[in-house]
Amino acid sequence: MEQVKCFIPETLEEALRIRRETGATVLAGGSDLMVANSMGAGVTPAFKGDVLIITNLKELKGIRALPDGSVEIGACTTSAEIARSPIAPELLKDAASRMGAIALRNSATIGGNIGNASPKGDMPQPLILMDAEVVLTSVDGERRMLVDDYIIATKKTALREDEIITKVIIPKPDFTHIFFRKIGMRRANAISKLTLSAAATVRDGVVVDFRASSGAAGPKVARSRKAEELLIGKKVSELHTCKEEFLDAWNTVISPHAMPEYRRNTTRRMLAFFIDALEAGHAPGRVDIQE
Amino acid sequence: MSEGYSSKPMQATKIGDRIVRVDAVQKARGEAVYVCDMTLPDMQYAYMVRSTIARGRIKAIHVPELPEGYYFISAKDIPAQGKNELWMIAKDWRCFAEDYVLYVGETIGLVVGPDRGVLKRLKAQIRIDYEEQTPAVTIDDGIHCVGGPMFPEKNSNVMCELFCEKGRPMDEVFAEADEVFEETIETPYQEHVHLETNSAIADMEDGKFVFYASAQCPFYIRKSIAGLLDIPYDDIIVRQCTTGGAFGGKEHFPDVLCGALLVAENKIRKPIKMVFDREEDTQFSVKRHPSKCIYKTAVKDGKITGVYGHIYYNCGAYLSSSYVVLQRGVFHGNGVYTFDNTYLKGEGIGTNMFPSCAFRGFGAPQTLFAIETHLDHLAHHLGVDPLEFKMQYLAKKGDETTTNGHIIEEVKLPEMLDVVTRESDYWRKAKEYKPGCGRGIGIALYNHGGAFTGNGEQAIIKAHARLVKTGDRVSIQVGSTEMGQGFKTSLRKICAATLGVSIDRIEYLDPDTSKVVDSGPTAASRSTMIVGRLVERAAQEMKERWSEGDFTTEVEYEHPDGYPWDQATFRGDAYLGYGWGVACVEVEVDKLTNEVKTLGAWSSHEIGKAIDELIVHGQINGGILQSLGYGSMEKLEVKGGRFKQKSMSDYVIPTSMDFPKQFYHIQENPYPWGPYGAKGMGELVFNGASAAYVDAVERALNTRFTSIPIPPEAIEEAMKHVH
Amino acid sequence: MYTEIRFTLNGEQKLYQGDPLRRLLDVLREDYGLTGSKEGCGEGECGACSIIKNGELVTSCILPVGAVNGCELLTIEGIRDTEKGRCIIDSYAEGGAVQCGFCIPGMVMATYVLLSKNPDPTEEEIRVGISGNICRCTGYDLIVECIKLAAKKGAALWNR
Repeated sequence: MEQVKCFIPETLEEALRIRRETGATVLAGGSDLMVANSMGAGVTPAFKGDVLIITNLKELKGIRALPDGSVEIGACTTSAEIARSPIAPELLKDAASRMGAIALRNSATIGGNIGNASPKGDMPQPLILMDAEVVLTSVDGERRMLVDDYIIATKKTALREDEIITKVIIPKPDFTHIFFRKIGMRRANAISKLTLSAAATVRDGVVVDFRASSGAAGPKVARSRKAEELLIGKKVSELHTCKEEFLDAWNTVISPHAMPEYRRNTTRRMLAFFIDALEAGHAPGRVDIQE
Repeated sequence: MSEGYSSKPMQATKIGDRIVRVDAVQKARGEAVYVCDMTLPDMQYAYMVRSTIARGRIKAIHVPELPEGYYFISAKDIPAQGKNELWMIAKDWRCFAEDYVLYVGETIGLVVGPDRGVLKRLKAQIRIDYEEQTPAVTIDDGIHCVGGPMFPEKNSNVMCELFCEKGRPMDEVFAEADEVFEETIETPYQEHVHLETNSAIADMEDGKFVFYASAQCPFYIRKSIAGLLDIPYDDIIVRQCTTGGAFGGKEHFPDVLCGALLVAENKIRKPIKMVFDREEDTQFSVKRHPSKCIYKTAVKDGKITGVYGHIYYNCGAYLSSSYVVLQRGVFHGNGVYTFDNTYLKGEGIGTNMFPSCAFRGFGAPQTLFAIETHLDHLAHHLGVDPLEFKMQYLAKKGDETTTNGHIIEEVKLPEMLDVVTRESDYWRKAKEYKPGCGRGIGIALYNHGGAFTGNGEQAIIKAHARLVKTGDRVSIQVGSTEMGQGFKTSLRKICAATLGVSIDRIEYLDPDTSKVVDSGPTAASRSTMIVGRLVERAAQEMKERWSEGDFTTEVEYEHPDGYPWDQATFRGDAYLGYGWGVACVEVEVDKLTNEVKTLGAWSSHEIGKAIDELIVHGQINGGILQSLGYGSMEKLEVKGGRFKQKSMSDYVIPTSMDFPKQFYHIQENPYPWGPYGAKGMGELVFNGASAAYVDAVERALNTRFTSIPIPPEAIEEAMKHVH
Repeated sequence: MYTEIRFTLNGEQKLYQGDPLRRLLDVLREDYGLTGSKEGCGEGECGACSIIKNGELVTSCILPVGAVNGCELLTIEGIRDTEKGRCIIDSYAEGGAVQCGFCIPGMVMATYVLLSKNPDPTEEEIRVGISGNICRCTGYDLIVECIKLAAKKGAALWNR
């Protein structure tokens, strides 16, 4: 067996150079890759190729507000750091704080969660709803693209052999109403069976923005701008007239294979509930059933 | 290294004292030594090579060329005088499959050598050619002999069967009834998920085979594996290591590890360690028996006149403990109730599945879930509160049991129900929460017969206990094991209290079969009740002779007179004492997602007497949580003879956030043949909460379930048939 | 290839020169003999291997040792004889939190982080704090009570 090489760079520059030279797999928190390549107790995980450990690169850590109100999150920022951040968007904090349990949230990173491109990944779902972008960096420079475009399908992304995800940039959300649910196999420490975010901006009784995204819904997060447009521009008082059409449209967006009856029906009930709450004049803020 | 301390050093320990568990500090400090923590000089490692198909003929085994110092061990390595069989209750379980395989995961061989990475790669290179046959996987497959009968000589897959009857013939009772309420209720596989996986080390010492094992029953291992080499039991020494949970999963199953290791050790003669990874432990270890119970209940003038039950358990490919599990299931098939006429039939069905074996409750939880749920449904059908309905039939002292024996003790269920209904506010909530309102409260009653069935303690086990006095210290020498249930503390406490000395003066080490006497398996909720009583007796004798200097006392189990049992016909007093339980659960169901939130859980258990209340409290909490997991979320599905769930992320068990703090109550009712009045309790506490949970969800949604678990998907399905 | 990984383990400087992709748990248990951290699942699900990395709880079975370069690590062996560690361990023993014990070292580590950040947690906060540490024996109630006990007994320590 050929020994795989493992690199532990001290700077981003060094990391980018190694990535260009070797194409080594980038390991951020390790929580996905170490399990995927595990050989069991006492045996070194069997990575298929070289590995580049970027866990402790300072350049890739931290959350900051940009002048235009958007939020920039370093790729190696952990879920726990996001969950307790005062400036991270609410929907992302919801997803980050429901990911696994405390210890996992201290290892798992936002870059890793996006890069892994698992349909059950927690963070891409709200990121896609918020039109977040990833910054992909190589020795040659940076490129930005929507997370929705970056994740192509299960385990398939637009990442080039020489690139590293370095940042995520989330435009300033101005939603008046948000809804988030994660349904796992138990109340904590669970992989998602189903997640849903929904958000709306209501101004003067008119829905000026409406978005939804379903996680664990198919090969990637499901979002449909076409379906959303059915509600955008409508008065909240007339939402009932287009609700069913929207729900039917949404139903065609989520994969029947990944979303058997229960998940499909639950998604529909949750979206219907959110839309009904908007029509009922729900006060701005978080919408949920506990009220 | 100290084994802990008592809060009142060197004062005489009393049974009522609140003491610190003797193993707590060492375990919390990370100093307790489990098998996985042991390293011996020149230690080798072993991994199992297993069948990847559920049923078929082995055409060829292709083993790659092995580097020096690496071995492939298989049935061929069993010496001529030995037999390829593990002796559990029968001798049907083969140590290594040869010629044919009966289930996915059956041991075919071991790879053994010094480097685990090399071994894993060698294991992946071993190729086995099969001629596949159609497996029987489910109980129904087994009943219909899918793929051909497993026992051609009787043209059937029935591995074991029994019935018991009481009162008049059921066809007469049915003919007179206003109606016969019939249901089929099914329960699933359940995985133990002891946090420490199965593990063992084999070694040689002075020409004898030595095993370090994570195990409940060191003497079982010795008996089970000696025939592989045809050697005397005394040539095998089993030393139990700190055992990280067992729940029945380490009753017979360690034989499967140790048997294979013995064959390897006989050839290699170096220490060999085998520790299962979680994936192996999840997919390739014994499980709780799935069941299918058909109940037919005759009702006349609103009253039950007879209960017929046909009980099937999926035993998997080998008998292991299934016949005994099935017996206990049948004997508990009427729950805590007395009905005038009953007929209960049990059939253990052989399938091409990993053998089912012991799991806390040992067959009782399945039928208790079925009868409780069935009676709930019948009560709803008749339009009465399920608890009011059931209370008419509560067993009382002197009542005839389903095996024509009698309830020997006072039954304290009415007092226990008072406590639980008061603490939970059951009666108010049961009325106020309208069916389908989203909130519900449910309640279940249950019992558990203590120790081995009938006269098994006398006829089969013949337990011994020995105390050795050296100066002012006393050593307890029994084969009973600590696996987390607190037995080291309980037994030392019993011994100290009887002798009138401090618990610190009593020593009780992890058993070594060459040094202690066989006190029987640590199973069947028998340890406190039976072995505790033996130690109490031995200590009483020692106390009388205390001034004699250093000496030993040894006692043997004695069965009380006047409680007959016929194991051939299953008639008589199946158990000399039962533990009794009441569990109540309140839930709220999220109408958007069908997620169930448990708002409260209350219980009362009658266990004779708590030897140590803190330990009993911990057992109650843990048993109820396991039962709630069984009813709600623990899903082990089977596809083509394979378990679909492979790890702790897809076979999920409750976390600290899934269920709320429990209310618990201990009902005293001293038991004449137990130490200080104690009875068994470790299994009892598992036997009812799942039924209470399902009852609560059914009421919250006005729907019915006839199988568990009931995750949100099952609720979605059931909601199509709201009553 | 040759890599040097430096970290502080229970207060001691360590230089690790083996394969950076080995699981930290294996390195702790097999290279440094720190067997208090246990393997329950091998995939970061059960918490039995929990240790503290730079003040935060992590599961050592899914961390490559290469990812702790420059980090400060604490295992059960590093806290059990400290005042805080003793406080937790004694509370666990006194209040009956320990049964089979396999999850307990990891649970103690989770408790240590919880109380260090939140000296007076509510029942709910405790349940969240240990939700990644699976216990099959206790039903958690007595563990939760013991954490309350540790918070009370060690109030001066945790608020320090």
